[in-house]
Amino acid sequence: MRRTLSQSILLYATIVGAAIVILFPIYWLVITALASTDELSSLPPTFWPEAPDWGVFAKVISERPILTWLWNSTLAAIGAVSLSMLVSVAAGYSLSRFKVRGGHSMGMFILTAKMLPATLMVIPLFALFRSFGLVGSLWSVILAQATFIIPFTTWMLKGYFDTIPRELEQAAMVDGCTPLSAMFKVVLPISTPGLAATGLYAFVLSWSEYAYARTFLISEQGNWTANLGIAGMRGEYTSAWNEISAASIFVALPIIIIYIFLERYLVGGLTAGAEK
Amino acid sequence: MAKISIKDVHKNYGSLNVLKKFSLDIEDGEFVVLVGPSGCGKSTMLKILAGLEPASGGTIAFGDKDVTDLAPGDRDIAMVFQNYALYPHLTVAQNIGFGLKMRKMAQEEIDRRVADAARTLAVDTYLQRKPKDLSGGQRQRVALGRAIVREPQAFMMDEPLSNLDAKLRVHMRAEIGALHKRVGVTTVYVTHDQVEAMTMADRVVIMREGEIQQIADPDTLFQHPDSLFVASFIGSPGMNFLTARVADSGNGPVVKLFGAEATVAHHDVRGLSEVIVGLRPEHLSLGEGPVSFRVKPTLIESLGSEKYVYFSEGEHHASFSSRNEDENSKGLIARVSHTGTLPESDELVLSFNPENLYLFDPVTEKAI
Repeated sequence: MRRTLSQSILLYATIVGAAIVILFPIYWLVITALASTDELSSLPPTFWPEAPDWGVFAKVISERPILTWLWNSTLAAIGAVSLSMLVSVAAGYSLSRFKVRGGHSMGMFILTAKMLPATLMVIPLFALFRSFGLVGSLWSVILAQATFIIPFTTWMLKGYFDTIPRELEQAAMVDGCTPLSAMFKVVLPISTPGLAATGLYAFVLSWSEYAYARTFLISEQGNWTANLGIAGMRGEYTSAWNEISAASIFVALPIIIIYIFLERYLVGGLTAGAEK
Repeated sequence: MAKISIKDVHKNYGSLNVLKKFSLDIEDGEFVVLVGPSGCGKSTMLKILAGLEPASGGTIAFGDKDVTDLAPGDRDIAMVFQNYALYPHLTVAQNIGFGLKMRKMAQEEIDRRVADAARTLAVDTYLQRKPKDLSGGQRQRVALGRAIVREPQAFMMDEPLSNLDAKLRVHMRAEIGALHKRVGVTTVYVTHDQVEAMTMADRVVIMREGEIQQIADPDTLFQHPDSLFVASFIGSPGMNFLTARVADSGNGPVVKLFGAEATVAHHDVRGLSEVIVGLRPEHLSLGEGPVSFRVKPTLIESLGSEKYVYFSEGEHHASFSSRNEDENSKGLIARVSHTGTLPESDELVLSFNPENLYLFDPVTEKAI
């Protein structure tokens, strides 16, 4: 069906409008990083700094432990994503495939856990980690983040496994697989797009998490994650907003890079051709 | 290759009995088709045979070996699924060889067997392609290749042709038939298509609501259906059914149809005042015959060399539980040889030979 001119105008206007809403904060972050302190406080605001200060990025790296923070965030994210994926692949597959007594209620219970605000868990988790001597350790953040990532990833994966025809596992079992080896040899390889999307989602959840890091790591500066570090860059009386913005760009970069590499998994399905 | 013995196998889901006691002996090398409408339990029986679903009771033996509690992979069977169930992440060659690899066969032997199977099914030029790059017919051949490469004791086929278009279905039907003749493996085939059942099977098992209705070779099923259900299920277009009164003409019993009398001396109608008469559309002819009657067609369809004449059953309307409401109210069809034009507005004379009539008890719905 061909679009009429008015439909095309409406379509492009909507796309441009949405792009502006999404991209403007990013643009503002970039010009804030590049602008001088005077320009930042001038009214009306300037939309491109007169003398962009590209040196701000080097300054942030040399004067702030941003690389340590990023490394800590990376370790926490790898830990939380690995733990969450390990649990939720098994849980999502079980919820999708096995009809057990109470299975449905269990699924709904996980869904309810997903709806609770993460901050609700801060105090009980703090008490728990203190008794295990984990406060201040990255493990506390890894375990705490897993508590809210697992419900999300389990449901995402259950939804993905539901779309994979059961006949594939049945065929594998007739071909000599056990239920477990059918999962490893057939279901998981086909689920790469779903696993990649879920893993990326879990990574973003972990990477952008602040409340748990603030509570469990505040006393241990060497273990600060990037978000905690950036929040700590604010001074009591003045803040170097250009440096904070430059640091924020460093924190946003890994997500953008990962997205670019995994994009092909996120779009399109590999199951095409499994059945008619 | 093996004989399959199924004894009293049944399946319940809670109080729902989806498969009632099913017993069947399948000879070595035989091609048996389970056929019936949706929900008749045919696929459940096949899955139980394959070990993909546990039976609630009963036993299954392949040859002398009881396989009732064995895992699917330990039964030495191969299965072809309705949706092919090809592994999308593997190439055609890897798909065909998957079962052999799982059985830890040497790679050279796998390669040799895959190449043989691929040649047999004419997919040898696609071996390095992924399933998504194949057409429906090619995928079906790969699924068959995956089955034959294992040289199993038996094939289980679950509606393997129903995803293909009509033309390809006829072609693949012939290919499966030829393949069965060549490899001679015992085959259990499930379909809801009676034409597939009739053309492919050595024996057909007709099922309804979890129960076997009749087990027979295709010709016997067509010529001697045990019940109204079987008679209505087999044949295309389906058999016509009419309610008719039984009378005694002095020369033996007759049924009264469209004002004429048809003798039914070779049927035992004692004690019945009314019967359901079955008459196949192809047993009706244009023009005068042993029993003739006039009808006003409601529709005439031309198929070139023959015509389908639709007409109302009038007072002989028959409705019974084996047919659904649509079928009970569809009227009658005559399939007559005629190449010229037949105007719908004219009355026609149709006739039949009373020897071609089937009689059924209206209460038990069994053949008389």
